[in-house]
Amino acid sequence: MACIDEARHVQGGGMNPIHLNDVTKLLHQEAHYLDTQQWDLWLNLFLEEAEYWVPAWKSEHETTSNPKAELSLIYYATRAGLEDRVWRVRSGRSVASKPLPRTQHNVNNVMLGDKTFNDGVQVLCNWTVHQFRTKPQEVEVLFGRCEYDIVQHVTGLRIQRKKVILLNDYLPAMLDFYSL
Amino acid sequence: MNFSELNQLIVDRPETGEFSVHRDIFRDPEIFELEMKHVFEGTWVFIGLASQIAKPHDYLTTWIGRQPILVMRDASGKASAFLNTCRHRGAVVSHLMHGNAKYHVCSYHGWAYDSAGRNVDIKDQKDAGYPEAFEKQDHGLMPVARFAEYRGFMFASLNDHVPDLEKHLGSTKTFLDLIVDQSPQGIELIPGSSSYTFKANWKLQIENCLDVYHLTSTHPSFMKIVERRNTGDSKHALKALDFEAYRLPGVERGSFTFTNGHAAVWGANPKPDVRPLFERVDELTQRVGPMRAKWMLSMRNLTLYPNVQFAENASLQLRIIRPISVNKTEMKIYCMAPVGESAQAREHRLRQYEDFFNATGLATPDDTTAYEDCQTGYQAYNVDWQQGYERGATQLQYTANAYAKELGIDVESCIAGPFDIQDETVFRAGYREWLALMKRGMSKGGA
Repeated sequence: MACIDEARHVQGGGMNPIHLNDVTKLLHQEAHYLDTQQWDLWLNLFLEEAEYWVPAWKSEHETTSNPKAELSLIYYATRAGLEDRVWRVRSGRSVASKPLPRTQHNVNNVMLGDKTFNDGVQVLCNWTVHQFRTKPQEVEVLFGRCEYDIVQHVTGLRIQRKKVILLNDYLPAMLDFYSL
Repeated sequence: MNFSELNQLIVDRPETGEFSVHRDIFRDPEIFELEMKHVFEGTWVFIGLASQIAKPHDYLTTWIGRQPILVMRDASGKASAFLNTCRHRGAVVSHLMHGNAKYHVCSYHGWAYDSAGRNVDIKDQKDAGYPEAFEKQDHGLMPVARFAEYRGFMFASLNDHVPDLEKHLGSTKTFLDLIVDQSPQGIELIPGSSSYTFKANWKLQIENCLDVYHLTSTHPSFMKIVERRNTGDSKHALKALDFEAYRLPGVERGSFTFTNGHAAVWGANPKPDVRPLFERVDELTQRVGPMRAKWMLSMRNLTLYPNVQFAENASLQLRIIRPISVNKTEMKIYCMAPVGESAQAREHRLRQYEDFFNATGLATPDDTTAYEDCQTGYQAYNVDWQQGYERGATQLQYTANAYAKELGIDVESCIAGPFDIQDETVFRAGYREWLALMKRGMSKGGA
């Protein structure tokens, strides 16, 4: 390929600029941990203070934009909310969570966003999840866009914020973190 | 299905306490078609809140049974409901969930309607060669047979032979008042909503909202998560609904059934401070009195038969039930809130709602999964009858108990007592209304 603007591949991170390749690797890692049900490793990709947000829709083309005043499908100001969900899945006490679907996450169109901040980068991507529900033996497809804030941490790149735009929100009975 | 076959589907013997329903009412497509005709299209159904179409020309689209509905506010501010279908060739004239439009123009041949439902244009009418008989027809959108509001709750009926709305609602108005009066400015829907479907019969949702018995066995993961937050094992600091507290000795709960199939369950709230409404307790006590303020902070699930539920336990949820087929149901759900609550309470309300409800919550998916498991189980056609609707029968009272008297409501039946009663007698009102509506429809030759 000829000339791709280098600035779109390297951004933020103060003294240690973050490369598009590295964030892509992180997103692939996240998908892998979700699909292989390695929940602790998945949680560990998020900073403790990470925000996790799946807005609801207000009309055909507008999602809610303020989680403090408008409805979300899921909103957590910190990772502790996700830890509750992982606990629930593992507890064996949620009929909706057993058996879990077999999921396959695909992440693509990864690019750096316009938002800049000192320690990190904004990352945009598209995602698709195919999942097979073993009880009804049915396939479901979920898809949408994601916005991440990804920062340099002493242990490597970490997610500081994940916003999931779920495009097909007419949901068949249930949806949880492992399908997003 | 004839009249006497229909009569065989429900066993109802108040003298012995026996009650059961035949599983065919959850699995027979023929019965489902009759229900759409005689239940959903035969009585008042909830179609929205007046505040959803607050301004002139605002509209929303919804369904009554199988039929598409357009609810509009006209230029003068009057709300009405119509069948959402062009009088010409039938296309729906409005395609969006909601919006604002002075005119709805059919995108097929261009017939146009104003927000009062009047036909204002038949494209190229002048030289079209329509005979006089056509010119004499009313080409306006077909209005529903009846439309009425009670304190901003809009209802419609496709059947003209229904009582006035207020008579239909009866003493459930007191429960609606407990919602609307939570603020001097009334209540509102918080922006954003969610829809989901489950592969099960709609009556499973009707039952579940009144079913206290399932809580500890369907939602143990939720209960345990709340406990983990309380003990600090979870770092997620959210003050949420605590079922365990409702089970403490001396905490009363109960149920009421009303005329026309409506019913409610309630529980005295041992932890009113976890409710976002609690910030208003002083204002409420002063404005509506201590008794009604206490009831506003109690746990209350209200079902207005056959399609709307108000669940006030974790925040306040509006649920609209739309049956799609005998084994598929759509739910449209909203979070309701008193107008003018503090930003802090609003945020708390949202987090509580999302924690429990939503197809993405920590409790609702366990309910819907249970419904789907039931529907799969109904394929055991060799099993005819459901068991256990007698639960609570020996405690059932047919005159107002102290709680009904306190509220000043008329009841068909009531129960009060410790948590473990968890009666299923509360379901009977809905099934009696179901049978009455089905019989009424069929006796008019409607089968």
